[in-house]
Amino acid sequence: MKVSEKKEINQGINNGNSIGKKLGVFKNQTSYLVLVIIIVSVIASILNPNFLTVRNFFNVTQQISVLGILTMCMALLMISGGLDISIGNMAGLVGIVFVKMVLSGYSIVMSVAVVLTISTFMGFVNGFIISKSKVTPLIITLGMMYVFYGIALIVSGGRPLALGGNFEFLGRAKIGPVPFTIIIYLLIFAFAYLLRKYTKYGRRLNAIGGNVQAAFLSGINVDLHIISIYTLSGLIAGLAGLVLASRLGMVRADSGTGYELQALAACIIGGITFEGGRGSLVGAFFGVLLLGIMYNAMNIIGVSSYMQTIFLGAVIVIATVISNIGKMRRE
Amino acid sequence: MHKNDLEKEKILYAKNINKEFPGVKALSNFNFDLYKEEIHCLIGENGAGKSTFIKILSGAFKPNGGDIFIDGNKYNFLTPHLARSIGIQTVYQEDILVPHISAAENIFLGFGNNDQKFFISYRKIIENAKKLANQLGINTNVEELYEKLSPADQQFTKILKALAHKPKVLILDEPTQAFNVKDTGLIIEIAKKISSEGVSVIYIAHDLDEVIKVADRITVLRDGKKIKTHDKKTETLNPENLAKEMVGRPVSLFYKKKECAIGNYVFEVKGLKLNQFSKEINFKVREGEILGIAGLKGSGRTEIVRAIFGALNKYEGIIIYKGKDITPDSPIKAVKAGIALLTENKKVDGLFMSMPVDHNITIVDLDKIGKFFISLRKERRLADDYIKRLDIKTPSPNQEVRFLSGGNQQKVVLAKWLFAGVNLLIVDEPTHGIDVNAKVEVYRLFTELTAAGKSIIMISSEMPEIISISDRVIVIRNFEISRVLSKSEIIEENILSGFMGGGG
Repeated sequence: MKVSEKKEINQGINNGNSIGKKLGVFKNQTSYLVLVIIIVSVIASILNPNFLTVRNFFNVTQQISVLGILTMCMALLMISGGLDISIGNMAGLVGIVFVKMVLSGYSIVMSVAVVLTISTFMGFVNGFIISKSKVTPLIITLGMMYVFYGIALIVSGGRPLALGGNFEFLGRAKIGPVPFTIIIYLLIFAFAYLLRKYTKYGRRLNAIGGNVQAAFLSGINVDLHIISIYTLSGLIAGLAGLVLASRLGMVRADSGTGYELQALAACIIGGITFEGGRGSLVGAFFGVLLLGIMYNAMNIIGVSSYMQTIFLGAVIVIATVISNIGKMRRE
Repeated sequence: MHKNDLEKEKILYAKNINKEFPGVKALSNFNFDLYKEEIHCLIGENGAGKSTFIKILSGAFKPNGGDIFIDGNKYNFLTPHLARSIGIQTVYQEDILVPHISAAENIFLGFGNNDQKFFISYRKIIENAKKLANQLGINTNVEELYEKLSPADQQFTKILKALAHKPKVLILDEPTQAFNVKDTGLIIEIAKKISSEGVSVIYIAHDLDEVIKVADRITVLRDGKKIKTHDKKTETLNPENLAKEMVGRPVSLFYKKKECAIGNYVFEVKGLKLNQFSKEINFKVREGEILGIAGLKGSGRTEIVRAIFGALNKYEGIIIYKGKDITPDSPIKAVKAGIALLTENKKVDGLFMSMPVDHNITIVDLDKIGKFFISLRKERRLADDYIKRLDIKTPSPNQEVRFLSGGNQQKVVLAKWLFAGVNLLIVDEPTHGIDVNAKVEVYRLFTELTAAGKSIIMISSEMPEIISISDRVIVIRNFEISRVLSKSEIIEENILSGFMGGGG
């Protein structure tokens, strides 16, 4: 009797594991993250019942969509062993140029096409310099961040530009109760997830991030992959810029500034490491959600925005330390 | 009483030293003595126990048994700090100095400057370094950055650093590795000068001519045991006899390879030059053949195969496979042509440690598991085949490679290239650091591959491996082929003579 009981329990545990593994959700850090999100939500809804409403939920997700899209850029790059901290200002510049074009009378389609081309090119430039110079991406993209910001200042003349009611559907439209921006974010998340997990291209990026020397000796065209992923990231950052402009209705040269570090934080909270090659996009997705929920909860509870900044910083530090402890234990 | 007096004459005496590592007896009942003002050379093959012994003397290893007498004081073991404080200094092969500061600063790095508590007098350091160099007749520019010095000057700097501590015993671990004749001569001179000034020197080298030149006495080590100590005063030494003493190994250590039919020449390296000045390298490989490449570390053997693979720029030369010019300018082309390179240090450039076993196996040839999208199920199935075929011990194909043992990791690298379907497998130290059982399995795989008509080029430092596995051997010395040995000529003496540039 006892033996069979034990067996059953074991089987139960095994089943649990395999289901978890299949979903890919409950692996290592992601499971903690989901737990933290639940805890934060419970506390927030106890303190203020308005937190746990459908309206507020969509509110949160709408607020995080720009960050979410940019986080997918960052996540794909970090998994390939790279990094781009110019994506925030890239999105900002895209917003400025877009609004300027629309105000100058160009059609929406034309303007969208032009700004996406520009952002794709900006990504390409980053990737090209990084792959050819072998300088650490942090330095290159830090420089490019200022370049993009400077261009945005020149184009905007340092003044805020208002869209004036044009092109609102992207940022403000809803399908039923679901904001359109969330759908865009989810589509991009799905795209990035599939790319990473189910394509040869994604697998090779992962290998480059894991060990660039081994990837090179395995016959992978490292430069081509690095340049292309930065280029793709530029395109996605351009989309984020459009969502940003459309949602705010008014853009400034620094509208995108700061998103890059939040995206970085979301990735790290989600378990993606600087060493590359590991971490999941699902983790990054929940990382974004946690940041969004924390902001929203603090707003609803009435935590001052200064305090919010401190909390955000603390969360990043704690998340990183926890993931490192996990890593040390595994080794 | 009388015996004690005798021991006091010796500055160092190691008695019945034993050292065991899991599965290996690195030193067994080893005795060694060192007189004042002498140069005592240690010779033996890789793995004979030389390095283990000097690591015991420098305090890096703790022996499992035996006593060490230094200046008549008895020690059971030493620590790095204790070794230094009783006057033992070691100059290792590896570079441990700081590249971007001057030689002089390196020499006195870590010294407490007594008259200056906190600030460092740069002038004084230079002065002292120059004084030290002059005493030995070394004219290295001590003000130059360490990284800009020639290999010989870097070696001098390391020796000066050791001497700055005024040691009683100086250990030089292969100080002339990859040096030319002139620089080697300089090192020999300096070693002699150091010993004549009252420091006893333990000198390790592979080149037997060099050893005979520099030594007062020579101790031959083999498989952790002392074979003999020769005294130059009482006997005339020649390299052949010393080489014979280093060799001579029980037959059981040799793997008995199943002979396979060897086909026609399929692969050819023609006129390969790594740089403008090196000699042309030409060789061919047949179908089903294992070509061994022997050579000491630093002889250029690794660079040559990397150039063949397209991972290292070459000056000129072409690679021909089945009559077609397939000269790769990058690994991408080499992999397409069916060439594989298993590097010496698989953790650094062979494996994706944070990726699971199956992803590691399929990475070279993802086309097999999908056109654009990957079929994870197919990947798992195909990888599983290889895991079974190579008997890779892993709890699941999903396991990250870094959790596997060294032998299993090596098998993953092999599986990766087998999966890609190679024609020519180039392996650099294929069994380095893996246990005996895993070794045999790697050899078994090699045999399987050659039986299927594949060719293998194998670099190895391990004599038994090179002798028992190779169908033919080329010996590399100073970036050129010094000897080509056919099956019947593959004996240790011939390979050793190739290392040392001996013809014949």
